[in-house]
Amino acid sequence: MKVEVYAVLKEYFEKEFTLQRSFDDIHSLRSFLISENPQAEKLLNISRFAVDNEFVDNNYSLKENDHISIMPPSSGG
Amino acid sequence: MTTSALCPQAVEVKHITSEPIDLPGLLSASHHPEAGAVVLFSGDVRDNNLGKNVAYLEYEAQEVMASKLIAEILEEARIKWSLSVAVAQHRIGKVSVSEAAVVVITATPHRREAYEANRHIIDRIKHEVPIWKCEYFNDGSKKWGGNCNCHEITGSANKHIYESEKQNL
Repeated sequence: MKVEVYAVLKEYFEKEFTLQRSFDDIHSLRSFLISENPQAEKLLNISRFAVDNEFVDNNYSLKENDHISIMPPSSGG
Repeated sequence: MTTSALCPQAVEVKHITSEPIDLPGLLSASHHPEAGAVVLFSGDVRDNNLGKNVAYLEYEAQEVMASKLIAEILEEARIKWSLSVAVAQHRIGKVSVSEAAVVVITATPHRREAYEANRHIIDRIKHEVPIWKCEYFNDGSKKWGGNCNCHEITGSANKHIYESEKQNL
C-alpha cells in the first residue's frame, strides 16, 4: 500500500512511501508507524487518515492497493 | 473562473489555487439580484506571529480532499442560510505578507445571514479542511503552525470548537 503524509509529518516520514506488508486496519497501521518512529506518536494519534481521498476511522479494513493519506490537524486560513 | 451576467449564482471558483486570489474579480462576480448584502472575508498574511517577524507563509493542501470538503461546506451553508452566493478559495504555495491566503464571500437578501454564514464557513475551513501553513520567520527559522487544537478539549480529531460559536456559550 502507498502512504502519503502531509505538512509537519514530513519531518518524521518520507513524503510518500510504499509498505510491503499488509495491515488489518488503520489502527494497526498507526501502531506500526509509531513503532517505526516513536517521536511521531503524539502527532499520529491526532492525525486523520484517508483512503483513496475519503476520511476513514480506526476500524477501516485496509486493502492491498489502498492509497493512504495521513493528515495532521488543519492549520489553514 | 467562469462568470455570467445572466446567471450570477453560477460563479465557479477553484477552491484551491496556487495563483494570487483575485479579490476584486471574485467580489464583482458575487453580486446577485436577490442579495442586498455581500460579505467578503479576506484572511491575510500577518507580518508577525508569536512575537516573531514573519517573512512569508507556505501553504500545503491535500488538494483533492480540500477542494471537495470546501465544496461540501459551501453547499451546506448555502442550504442552511439560503445563500444567493457562496464562494471560497484558498491559496497553496508561498503567500507573502498582506496577501490573501483565503477568501470567503457570501451574499444574502439581508446582512445578518451573510455575516453568520461567512463566519461559519471560514471557521470550518480553518478547522476541518486539510490545509496547513508553514511560517517562515525573518530570523531564518520555520514552523508548521497554528494547528487546530480542538482535539485537546473535545477528545476527537473530528470535533471542533468554532470561534463563531464560542461567543454564544
